[in-house]
Amino acid sequence: MEHILEGVKGAFKLILSLDREIYSIVLLSIYVSFASTIISAIIGVPLGLLTGIKDFRGKTILSKIYYTAMGLPPVVVGLVTVLIISRSGPLGSVGLIYTPIAMIIAQSLLVTPIVTGIVFTNSKDRGKEIIEICKTLGANRKHTFIKLIKELKPLILVATVTGFGRAISEVGAVMIVGGNIKGHTRVMTTFIALSNSMGNYDTSIAMGIILLSISFIANSFLYNRTMGENNGYKIRKY
Amino acid sequence: MGIKLENIKKTYNGKAVLNVDKLIIKESIITGILGPNGSGKTTMMKIISDLLNSDSGSISYDGQNFDYIKDNITYVSHNSYLFNDTVYENIAAPLKFREMEKDYINNRVLELINMFKIDYLMNENAHNLSGGERQKVSLARALAFKPNILLIDEPTANIDPNFIKLIEETLKTINKRLKTTIIVVTHNTAQSFRLCDEIIFIKDGKVLKHKDKNYFKNPKNEFIKEFVRLN
Repeated sequence: MEHILEGVKGAFKLILSLDREIYSIVLLSIYVSFASTIISAIIGVPLGLLTGIKDFRGKTILSKIYYTAMGLPPVVVGLVTVLIISRSGPLGSVGLIYTPIAMIIAQSLLVTPIVTGIVFTNSKDRGKEIIEICKTLGANRKHTFIKLIKELKPLILVATVTGFGRAISEVGAVMIVGGNIKGHTRVMTTFIALSNSMGNYDTSIAMGIILLSISFIANSFLYNRTMGENNGYKIRKY
Repeated sequence: MGIKLENIKKTYNGKAVLNVDKLIIKESIITGILGPNGSGKTTMMKIISDLLNSDSGSISYDGQNFDYIKDNITYVSHNSYLFNDTVYENIAAPLKFREMEKDYINNRVLELINMFKIDYLMNENAHNLSGGERQKVSLARALAFKPNILLIDEPTANIDPNFIKLIEETLKTINKRLKTTIIVVTHNTAQSFRLCDEIIFIKDGKVLKHKDKNYFKNPKNEFIKEFVRLN
């Protein structure tokens, strides 16, 4: 118990000391996770919407593929990415292995199915309903599209923030493709794993606290956007 | 003249849910659609409102292709989706889709809000409303652009008994004043007698009877007689 308390005390000291290494790791984590979330949202939101709203042959199989991809094991994704970008792989000449870009690619592969799956599942019924009502009210394609995005905005935000949460907490894939190189590809999760194995509990706990704080901020943003004034969840006053 | 349905067929999973050889729904009157659950009433409404494609057949209006009037048809179900916005914005939506003048939109929305006595809800988010309130807003929104054809599925399903009369009177007034063709699906035969001029009775996807409402007050068909007695 004592070493845990010591660890917490040391963690706060470390956070307040503005340690350069700690903060560069935090910034790299945010950069990699943010970039992969943006890429995943750009691909996943339209893909999920389009396949969710449209009826076509093979939709059931596609939904099964989405759900399977949502639970892809990170180490497998890491391994596949390494095989592609390693020096002997098809994209070896680009020299991406053990770089932040490799980590962004691996995280994008993990997060895109999550964003796509969430948007797909939730837009299946709701999206169709919105399109139908727009049609009965005489909306053209442009107006229907604007309404669809506006009405599904909370869902798109949920999918994106969930994706960001997955990206920032991911360890297996970034460890494999990034190599956890100090000052270059070391991110919060790989730092925690390394510190923990070396018995440096204070630095592990410090990073854990920062990781949780980032997650809290992201979810608070989501809460404010989806549970705010004009979103339909407000409790009636009478 | 009116809406003419010819050889309209619709099947789901191999089962025929609608099979109409020929049906003419007169314009500028209120027509009720009666029938047991699963008889094809909603399917027919959705096909007329272009929300569903029929497997075969055609629909025309006043002898012309139905496409030219499609922008002037609207369909309201008892659980129509309301936009995640204020009641005012919901009612204004079809007018904004048509890029009407701001002043006209404001006047028309306020007129409908007064008509349905929902002024106290004007700035409420539509997702916070009760079932009955939602239904009134859906109806007000559908009427905003003064459609030529109004299709309503169970117009008073969730409405407080005190307001049923208001809804029925509003529909009758709109029909008289604007000559709107109104087609109403209802389970309530008493309501169809109060509201409609003609009634279409559907059973197993087929039109069993299409007559003046007075016929249904004392029908000769045993099935319809039993249906009217129970509903």
